[in-house]
Order: sequence, then structure tokens, then C-alpha cells
Amino acid sequence: MGVFVDAWRRLRSLGRRRRELEDRLDDEIRFHVEQQTEKNRQAGMTPDEARRRALIGFGGVEQVRERTRDEFGAAFIEHLARDVRHGLRSLRRHPAFSAMAVLSLAIGIGANTAIFGVVQTMLFRASALAQPETLVNIYETERGHGFNPMSHPNIEDLRRGTSQVFSGIAASTFFPVPIGDAGTARIVMGEVVTGGAFALLGVEPLFGRAILPEDDIARGGHPVVMLSYGYWQRAFGADPHVVGRTLRLGGRGYTIIGVAPGHYRGAFPPLTPAFYVPMAMANELMGVEMLGQRDSHSFFVKARLAPGVSRAQAEHAASLVAESLTRARPEGWVPGERFSLVPTSDVQIYPGVDPLLRAAALLLVGVVGLVLLLACTNLASVLLARALDRGKEVAVRQALGATRGALVRQLLVESALLGLGGAAVGLVLALVLFHVLVSIDLPLPYGMKLDLNFGIDSTLLFDWRVLVFTVGAGVLTGVVLGLLPALKGTRADLGSALKTGSRESDAPGPLRWRNALVIAQVAMSLVLLVGAGLFLRSWQQMLSVDPGFGRAPTSVLSLMMPIAPLTADEAVQRTRRVLERFRAVPGVEAAGLVWPLPLEFAASFTDFTIDGRVPPPGQEAFRTDRAIVDGAFFDAAGMTIVAGRTFNEGDRRDTQPVAVISQAMARRYWSNGDALGRVLRRPDPAEPDLIVVGVASDINVRSLGEAPREVVYENYAQGGGSPMFNFVVRTSTDPARISAALVAATREIDPDLQVVQSTTMAQHLAMSRLPSQMGAFMLSAFAAMAMALAAIGVYGLVRYTVARRTHEIGIRMALGADAAGVTRLFATHGVRLVLVGGAIGLAASLLAARFLATLLFGVGTFDPVVLTCGPLVLGSAAWLAAYLPARRASRVDPLTALRTE
Amino acid sequence: MTKEKGDVLQGTLDMVVLKALQLEPMHGWGITERIEQWSEHVLQLGQGTLYPALYRLERQDFIRSEWRVTDNNRRARYYSLTARGRRHLTDSLEQWRRMSRAINLVLEVKAVS
Repeated sequence: MGVFVDAWRRLRSLGRRRRELEDRLDDEIRFHVEQQTEKNRQAGMTPDEARRRALIGFGGVEQVRERTRDEFGAAFIEHLARDVRHGLRSLRRHPAFSAMAVLSLAIGIGANTAIFGVVQTMLFRASALAQPETLVNIYETERGHGFNPMSHPNIEDLRRGTSQVFSGIAASTFFPVPIGDAGTARIVMGEVVTGGAFALLGVEPLFGRAILPEDDIARGGHPVVMLSYGYWQRAFGADPHVVGRTLRLGGRGYTIIGVAPGHYRGAFPPLTPAFYVPMAMANELMGVEMLGQRDSHSFFVKARLAPGVSRAQAEHAASLVAESLTRARPEGWVPGERFSLVPTSDVQIYPGVDPLLRAAALLLVGVVGLVLLLACTNLASVLLARALDRGKEVAVRQALGATRGALVRQLLVESALLGLGGAAVGLVLALVLFHVLVSIDLPLPYGMKLDLNFGIDSTLLFDWRVLVFTVGAGVLTGVVLGLLPALKGTRADLGSALKTGSRESDAPGPLRWRNALVIAQVAMSLVLLVGAGLFLRSWQQMLSVDPGFGRAPTSVLSLMMPIAPLTADEAVQRTRRVLERFRAVPGVEAAGLVWPLPLEFAASFTDFTIDGRVPPPGQEAFRTDRAIVDGAFFDAAGMTIVAGRTFNEGDRRDTQPVAVISQAMARRYWSNGDALGRVLRRPDPAEPDLIVVGVASDINVRSLGEAPREVVYENYAQGGGSPMFNFVVRTSTDPARISAALVAATREIDPDLQVVQSTTMAQHLAMSRLPSQMGAFMLSAFAAMAMALAAIGVYGLVRYTVARRTHEIGIRMALGADAAGVTRLFATHGVRLVLVGGAIGLAASLLAARFLATLLFGVGTFDPVVLTCGPLVLGSAAWLAAYLPARRASRVDPLTALRTE
Repeated sequence: MTKEKGDVLQGTLDMVVLKALQLEPMHGWGITERIEQWSEHVLQLGQGTLYPALYRLERQDFIRSEWRVTDNNRRARYYSLTARGRRHLTDSLEQWRRMSRAINLVLEVKAVS
């Protein structure tokens, strides 16, 4: 903001200085005249005569003032002000042209500013962390799995083995936590962090204190909580006296010790948690052992390099730790696993998704850039037309003695004004768009909030850099685009310009330029249309993908079921009670449970060996996806058991553990899928060997439309249980109504059971289609903008041609041309340009589509449907844009037309 | 041109004004008078040129100005040379001398043949 304040102050002081000079000059002139009068009187004149002669001698007080004013040093500003006034007047005289230019530019600049704001927030935002260059993110890397979060025992081993190279290691994870009293609790995302994390990352609390190392020593010993800025705003109304109050988390009171600053987004950037608690509270809060299991990969880790230590040195130290772990073979450590160090500043969200994110951001920026280009083309087209129209005016002014510099300046001021107007309207548009973008409430599971705002909201747009970008873009495009027409227009040869007058219908140069511009516009917008079409098709493909489950109306209820005070048998009993109660709800056809829910971001794996099959080289076991289910899950999810049986009452903790496997798995490991009765031997002593009793139909587990995946289904009644279960309830009625009934039933059974989320299968599946849906809608919106701009361009050109040739039309009509013929004459011109532009655009979009391949699903880059529909849509819009003004031409009254001049 | 009067040549005006101020600070009217006197009433400075010149020279930092009280107790704006103005005057005078000498030489050549 400082820049503007400063500029304003300077302008004001300029004005003040000016008034001072003016007063001073008046005083001087008065003194001068009086002196002369005095002299004249002494020479013997009467007082009146003396004064009169003095004034005459002085020669035109006003003229002297005027000429002296030019020397005040602010003449430039004066002239600018005059040009601006003149420019505004002249733009007002041509409201249609001005509005078209301003509107075009506003669309371009608005879209760009909004996207620029979002992309900047997502990708290029300055780090909230101190000295990010000495921070690294650490992940665990196994073959085939690039960047896994770390497990707590591994973090502790790493910490011990790298104390020489790291000055500290911070770890955190986040999970849904019920907040508030039992019964009325809501689920929000909480983050557990190691004690020294805030100090290590250099994040100062907004007020209060951060979580300290001493909060993180005794397990369950320090129930303290630090609020995130956003949650403090939302839930506490930014109460400054919040420190010291108590917050109920998972049934226990936590003392609020401080509030995190607004710019700190937690360990996983866009998903800002509601609060932070010490790591030592994790087990109690989750009701499950979080910290002891080496194969529980759930912690995001950052470490700070000790002074003078390079990343290579740190990597070496970390690899030594991994090697010693591989030698020692502790339970849960996969031999050959290693630690990957990634500079924190290189990570936007997560190394696994960053490339996709960057590709999407780049695409978005490219698309809005194209929209801006289209807008500029419209502006250029308008300016060319204006220059053409003003040939005579310019000539007259030159003849009257205006210098070429002054004329060029005048024209440039005018185009800069258009640019400025575009920027101003564009900024408003950007603000609206930005608000829409950041306030999109994505249906994220588990009370997660996608926080593009970071509690800073739209003030971001008033960041001076963004303002400079917007206004600069507007003025610059105005001036740059205005330069050529201005220079060309003022070079006019006086004589011929004055003689030809305004009826110089065939100024081939500028018109040819305009034609080229329209062709370019049509081509560019066709590229965007085809891109949007491909995304729409991709989304459509996704809609028609059958994930293999959940086709029937189904509700999904996720319950947190802490095991802690119960024995494993008691936990199973409780889960069974819940299932039976759900099955008794009217309208329920089948109810089962599963963890993790397919097509959710959580994943679970298990390792096994099979007699007679050798694991892949370098590995001791096979690894597959695993899900914990009950016997009714397959039926409830709409899957089928293709061979053998599902789990039943006879499969208990004291009988042989059994498994159901997916068809894909049966096919991969056994010839003709003959898997029944085979044994899955598991190297992990905590996991018993399983006998395959059934084969279930394939489903999509991790992403929609993926190749059939190998999955082992384990029986919840035979295993160690899970802290959370998703109850899948198929119904013959409205699943939303059933969901409500299920929540009520849950409260009846046990008020301590926490409902993490209650949704329908349709919503859950929609979630997994969301990225492609958003891509399709976003791109369609921009393509629509582009098409509108191109249509405006075509319309403007044809209408302009018609206006210039009114005289000619009159003659043609007078000579007997019919209305249809005249319409055709002008429309043809527009349509021809559209055809040329369309051909170029089609070729360009075939090239451009290749870059989209990674973002598309189930549709090739050469898609006949899109390649037919795109040009058709654009063609009709362009034809309409050409036809409307052409029809006006046919309505010209020959008499009036001939009289124009 | 009944009388032998002349407008000050554009470009020499600045030099003449600076020269007038060389001895002592003066106000605008004083400068007109002085130049008229010195030039034996040949050079009459139009006010339409004097004041623009004064403001221009001040902006260029060749002269500065301040309010002072005249002998007969009137308030007037007095102009005086700055160091920069003095240097500029010396340079311009030097250039002028060379130029006028050259022009005189040309004009005084008697036509031969």
C-alpha cells in the first residue's frame, strides 16, 4: 500500500506547490505593474494614465501567467490531465467500442488476477517457516512406494542416528478428533506434533505459547492444545482471552495454551488442522497405539540441517540408519527400506502429488493467459478501428499545428485509459471469482477443510503486488497495443487524408490486421474449446466407470471405536451389536463394515508368501492392499462372491483365521484362479497365516477406473480390530434418510461412539471424481469466456465493416441488391475468417491436446466427438456473431445511406 | 521598426538575465529596468518572456529567489545567482564572445572585386 500512499502524497504536494507558485507570480506581477505605474507618474502622467500605460507595457497579464505556468515544472502533469479529459470525452462518444474493449480486457484481467491469486497462494506463497533452505522433509521409500510418511519408531531411530547432522527433527500427523461434549461432539481435524516442532520450524505463536518439548514427554501427561488461526476465528470468534480455557477433545479436557499464526498451515499445507496437541497425547486421543508400531506409516517429518551440514551429508547419515535397521531387522521394518530427504522448499503439498498439482496450475495459468491474449486481441482490434476512423480528425489537428508527439501521446493516453478501465472492472471481477474459488466448500471427508484462504482471505488480492500486476497489465496492454495504431495513424499524409474524408472504405492495411486478429482469436478459442471438451469427456467417462461396488443406494457411516479400555473380544462384541442394530433399522437391506473404505485416501497393506511362488527379487514377501471387513460387507457393497464363501459366525478368534481375496489376486497367483484352501503365510508374527475361503469380485480400491487390484479381505472378528470402521448400509429407500436413522441408532447403542462422518455412497464416489469434475468445469468456464471474446471480436469486425460501408450498401440497394444478398455479402466475410481460424485452431488443438494426456481419463487426445462438437459450437457462435451485424446492413435505407456524409 | 528596439534573441535571453543579476540580487521589474538602461533602451524585455525565463532558470537551479523588502518598504521577490548560475553565465558569455567575434569577422569582410 505504501507505494500508493506515497504517490498520492507527491501528487498532493505537487498541487500545493503549484498554488504557491501561482500566488507568488500574482504578487510579482502586481509589484511589477505598481513599480511601472510609479515610474510613469514620476514622468508626469496622471495616476490613471500611468496605470493604464503600465498595464499596456506589461502586455497581457493572463498571457504572462499562462506562459510562466508552463515553466512551473509540472507541465507534463497538466498536459496529461488535459489528454485524459480529452480521452474520456472521446471514449464516451463511442460507447459501444469503449464498452467492448473494457469488457474484453476486464474478462481477461479478471480471470488472470483471480487465478494468479490462487496459484500464488497454492504454489508460490512464501514459506511460513524460518530459514526454509535448511529444512528437509523426510519420507520412507520402499520399492514401488515413493514417499511414505514415517512411523514413530523409525523417527526415533533416525533421530538417534542423525544427531550430528540434524539440529532437530519435527514430526506430526493428523486425524479426525471429536471436539466438544459427548453426544454433541463434532469431528474436526487435529494435528499431533512433537514438542519442539514449533521452535524448530521457527513458527511463533500469535499469542500464548507454542507446544514445548516438556509437553511431549509423559504419555498422556500434558493435555494442552494450541488452536489454529482459522479454528480460533471460526469457533472462538477470535476471542483474545482464549488462553487458559478448556477444550474437550476425545472426552478429555485440554487446556488452550496459545494460537498459531495465520500464515502457518500445519504440516500438510492446504488442509489446515483445527488445533495442535503434543505427540505424547496421540495414543490417548486416538484410542489406539499410534506411536509404538513400526509399520504404522503416518507421520510427516521435517528436519533442520545442523549448521554447515550439507544435504548429501545428512542423506549419508540417514542411509546408515536405514542400513543398520535392515541388519537388525526389527519387527515392522521392511528390508531395503530407506529414508528420502527432499528440500522442504521443493515440496508444495506432497512429493507424490506435487507434479500433478504443478501440471494443473500450469495448465490453468496457460489457459487464463490465452484468455487474456484473446481479450488483448479484441482491444487491439478496437484500437485499429479507432485509428482508422480518426484519419480525418488527426489530419485536421496536424494541419492546425499539433505535433506528432502530442497526437501520439493523446492516442496512447486514450488506449491506456481503456486499459485502466479494463483493469478496474477486471479487479472487481477477480475479487468475485477469487471469492468463489476459495469459498468452494469441497465435500471433503472427516470434517476436513480445504483452506485456500489461510485465514487471510481476499485481502490477498489487495496485496500491492497483485494490484500492480493488474493495473500494470491493463495500462501496459493499452499502451503497447495502442502504440502501433497511434504511430501509423499519425503518419497520415495530410493532403490525401483530408481529401478522402471519412469514406475511405478500403484501407487495406489496418483491415487486414483486424482480419488476422479475428482469425487468431477463433483459433485460440477453438484450442480452449477442444481442451474443455476433452475434460468434459474425461469426466463423463469417469461418471460411467463402475467401481465394482456401491451401485445401489447406500449410506456410509464412519465411526470411531476406541478399543483402549476394552479387550479385543469386547471390542468385537460391541462392533457386532452396532451391526445388528443397524440391520434392524427399517429400510436397511444389508449392513457390513470395512476399513479402509475403498476409494478413500487411506490405504492398508499386508505382506505374505505363498508356497511354490518366489517373491520379486530383493523382497522377501508379496505385498497387497488389505481391507478389514465383516462377512456381510460384500453383499452390502453390492459385490459378489465368485467362488467359495464369505465370513460367517463360525469364523471366530479361536478358530483358523481365514481370508477372502479379490478375483484379480486369485488370477495372478494361482492358475485358473483356483485359490480356495490355499495359505497366505505372513512373515509378520503379529499377523496370523490365512486360509483363503472365498474369492470376491474386483473393485476399484485406490482410484476410479484403475486396473483390477489384488486385495486381501480379513475378518474383523478374527483380527486385532481397527480404531475406525466404515459401516456400509445398502437400502431400498433414500440413503440420506437412512444415514440420519443410523446416526440416531448409534447414539442409542453407546453415546461414546463418535460419528466421524455420515454420508452416502453416491457422495463418496462423487468425491473421487471431484478433481476431473473441477477440471472440466473450470476449463469449460474459461473456454466459454474465450468463445465469448472471439464472438465479440467477430461481431465487432463485421459491424465495423458494415458501418464503414453504409454508403456503398446504399448504392448497392439503390441499384437493386436484395436484403439477403447484402446480408450474405457481409456475413460471408466473417464466416470466411472463422473457417480459416477454425482450421488453424483445429491443428493447434491436436498439438496442444498431447500435453493434456496425463490429466485425462479414459479418453484419447484424438477424440472424434470433441473434434466435431468443438468446431460446431464455435462455428455457430461465430456465425451468429457475423450474421447479426450483417443483417443490420440489409436494413439500411438507401436514401439515408447515400445522404450519410 | 521605427525605433532601434529589438526583442532579445531567443537563447540569449537567459544569458542577459543572468548577467543582470551578476552584481546584486534584483526583483523582476529591476531586471527589466537594468537591461533597458544598460542597452541604452535598445533591449526591451517583454514581461511575457521575462517571467517564464525567471521561473525556468530557477527550476534549472541557476538562480534562487526570496521575498525581501525594497528601499521604499515594499515586499518584492528578489532573484540572485547560484554558484551553478555563475558558472553557466561564464560559459555562455565565453561562447557568446566567440560567436559574436566570428560573426563580426564575417560581416566586416569588405567585398572585393
